[in-house]
Parts: sequence; C-alpha cells; structure tokens
Amino acid sequence: MKKFFAFIGEVSCFGLKGLWEAFRPPFEWEFFVHEIEEIGWRSLPLVSAAGLALGIVLSLHTRSTLVRFGAEAMIPSLQSASFFNELGPLITGLLVAGRVGAGIGAGIANMRVTEQIDAIESLSIDSFKMLVVTRIVACILILPMLTLYMDFTSLIGGFIAERLAAHISLQLYLDRAFKTVEWANFIPPTLKTGVFGLIIGTVSGFFGYTTDEGSEGVQRAATNSVVLSSLLIILTDVILVKAIFFLFPRDAI
Amino acid sequence: MSDEAAVEFEHVCKTFGNRKVLDDVSFKVGQGEALCIMGRSGTGKSTSLKLMIGLLRPDSGKVCIGAEDIAHSGEEDLSRVRRHMGFLFQSAALLDSFTLGDNLALPLRRLDKSKSPAEIERAVDETLERVGLDLDKGKMPSELSGGMRKRAGLARALVLRPKLLLVDEPSSGLDRITASEIDELLLKVKKEYGATLVIVTHDVRGARRVGDCIAILDRGCLIGFGTAGELDKSDHEVVRELIAEC
Repeated sequence: MKKFFAFIGEVSCFGLKGLWEAFRPPFEWEFFVHEIEEIGWRSLPLVSAAGLALGIVLSLHTRSTLVRFGAEAMIPSLQSASFFNELGPLITGLLVAGRVGAGIGAGIANMRVTEQIDAIESLSIDSFKMLVVTRIVACILILPMLTLYMDFTSLIGGFIAERLAAHISLQLYLDRAFKTVEWANFIPPTLKTGVFGLIIGTVSGFFGYTTDEGSEGVQRAATNSVVLSSLLIILTDVILVKAIFFLFPRDAI
Repeated sequence: MSDEAAVEFEHVCKTFGNRKVLDDVSFKVGQGEALCIMGRSGTGKSTSLKLMIGLLRPDSGKVCIGAEDIAHSGEEDLSRVRRHMGFLFQSAALLDSFTLGDNLALPLRRLDKSKSPAEIERAVDETLERVGLDLDKGKMPSELSGGMRKRAGLARALVLRPKLLLVDEPSSGLDRITASEIDELLLKVKKEYGATLVIVTHDVRGARRVGDCIAILDRGCLIGFGTAGELDKSDHEVVRELIAEC
C-alpha cells in the first residue's frame, strides 16, 4: 500500500513538474509542433472511423427501441446529447490513450534504452522538456479538438443511419440534434478532455522516461502506459462529471 | 603539448545503489593524447566517460576538463565545456525521428548560436563528407547499416570540431574491417583536429593502434596505466591478460 501511494506521488510530481516546465523558457516549439502532428493529425483516421461507426450503431440501437413508442424524432437529439455529454469525450480519451499512450511510453523508453536521451543531455538539452513536456502540452491541447471531431463524425454517422432508415434531410437532422443542446452541456464535457490529455501525457511520459530495463522495459512501458492511462481516465471521468453537475446543476436534471 | 591536462580524474568515486563502480580512481590525459580505457564488463568504463561529459556526477573527487572541475559546475558552465566536446555512444544514439542531416545540425543549433542556417548546412555537409556519408544526409537512422550508424554517430560528435572526443566502444558489433575503418577515422581526427581522445574499448588491436596510453579498470579500481609496452610488462595478471593480443 505504501509503495502504491509512493508511486502515485511520483507520477503526480512528474506531471506537476511537466506543467511547471511548460511555462518556463526555453520553449521547444519545433518538437511541440512535431508532437501536435503525431498526436493530433495521425489520430484522425482512428477517431473518424470510431465516430462514424459509433454514430451509426447508436442510431440503429435507439431507433429499434424508440420506434415502438413513436418517438423516433428524438433520435438526433438523443444522439447529440449522448456524444456531446459523455460518449465523445470518454471514447476519444480511451482511443488516444491506446494509440498515443503506447506510442509515447514505448517511444521515450526506447530512447532511454538506446542512449538517445543521454545523447540529448550531452548536448546540454533538457531531455525532460524536449520529450515529456512537449508531449504533455500537446495531449492537453489536442484532446478537446479530437473530441469535437469525434462528436462531429458521430453526428455524420447518425445522419447516414437515419437517412437510410427514414429518409430524413440533413437540415431536419441537425435542427433536431442541436435543439436541446446548450453551451453548458457542450463546453465543459469537451474541455474536461484536457484533463484526460494531462493524464495520458503524464502517465505514458513517466513510464517511458523512468524505464531502465532494456527492451523488456520498453514493452512494459507501452503496456503500463495504456492500462494506467485508461483506468485513470475512466475514474477521473466520474469525478469530473460530478463536478460538472455541481457547477452546472441544470445538466444534472 | 601544454602542461594542463585535457582530462583529469582526482580520487573519483561513484556508486550505484550498493555497487561501487569507481573506487578512488585518478589519472590524467594530456592535450592531444589518446587514452584507451579497457577492462572487464561492468568495471566502470562507460561510467567514466559519462562522468567526463557531465551526464553523471561523482559521489566524491574531481573530474576536470581542462581547468574546469565539471563535477561541481552548474548547467551553464557545463554547457560551455560541452561546446568543445563530442561523444560517440556505443549504439551511436542517433535520434531516430530525425534525418542524418538533422541529427548533425542539432548540436550546432543548440551549442553554437553564432552560426547561420547556411553555415550550419555547410558544416553538416563537410562533416558528413569527412566520414564518407555525404550521400546519405536525408536518410533516417533506421536506413543505415551498423557501420554507417557508427560513422554517423562519429560525424555528430565531430560536427562541433571538439577538442575532446569521448568514444564508447567504437568497434562493438562491427566486423574487423569496419572496426579498422573507424579506428582510421579516429586517428585522422586526432591528427587533423589535434583532439584529445578517450576511448572505451574491448578491442586490444584497436587500443594498441589508436591509444598513446591505456588505462585498465578492474572492479572499479585503476589497476594499470601506461603505454601498451609498459603494460605488457605489468606484474598484474589481469592487466597482462586484458591487453594480450589474440
């Protein structure tokens, strides 16, 4: 138990150091832009596929139930509420934890094992800033954007399913989808994914940066990054949803 | 040769956990000399190199590069000293997300702010030509063979025209001919740049060929130091065994 809390403390200090260093010059812009591309741009195909598929599937499931009550007109608003409030942020977080978390953990661990981090340090470059801080900040900024993109693609998926099933027009679908959406149920859930980004960047950066066990360490860093990031995202989501309901009570009704 | 040593270890001790890796080690390397450090695996050879470039700090003792004791200097002073040093890592340690050209440009961009992008480009081209990789500038490290990676690592270590070149196992994983080519390059660097070399190696032939003197480490202690001829006559059995040619 003592070891567990010591570990949590270490990871937390690592993340706080990352945040602190993000505001202190020199800034590694070149590497930051590279990470934005790596974490954001290269996640788009996965997020697109997942958003479209989930949009279609959710629409098919809800249609079969709601049609019995003659309430199929509610499908677009149900779809938007589900994705904007919860599914979009959580699934984006988990997808990125899988794709990016493993990449960051294994990538940095491999650099440690092959002495690339020593080579960076020998040039008087702060390897923590160059490799960890850039990734943490990139994750924090990219996650909300990817979430918006996931919301958007899921609506497209939902529209395709509705169009095929009920020949609904795009205009009517969007009208119904956004009828019940307010800024308060859209902005806080999207912004909470910044916290998911912090978790992914910190946890995977920690496992990668602190490894010292050769190629086995690289494998372990990748696995642990995904498992712990995903677990923490799910647990943090519960806390953040509760906090959002507390701050915006109308959402809770 | 000037009186001031290029590298000096004074009673250096270094421990990792319970394991004493270096125990009261002292030696000097003169300017423009080549020192080869030999010894069995795990006896503190690579640790000595990492102490020389400030990647590790000794638990006690002094590590002097020129007149500067880097064991106790701050990051800024260390950065200034490193401006005149190059390090060839055992695995070459090229950054795998950078092209070969970018790997070489990085030290210039970070440690030599006076150079314009055109000058950096020119310095990179010249250095790559020197190690025979001028046609591979745009390649990624994964596209290079073992020998090419080693030469690329050497090129990165040389791009700042260092006065002190630290080399960790230059012949490891290479065939005899390629290892011999790397030795040739090191001798050329020593002659043309007037650089001091500190080479960690297991290759006796290479050490005898490149080194002006050889240091033998065993269980963290310096058990032999001198020219190959002197060490051949050493009373210490491990020293004689380690430098005996096959």
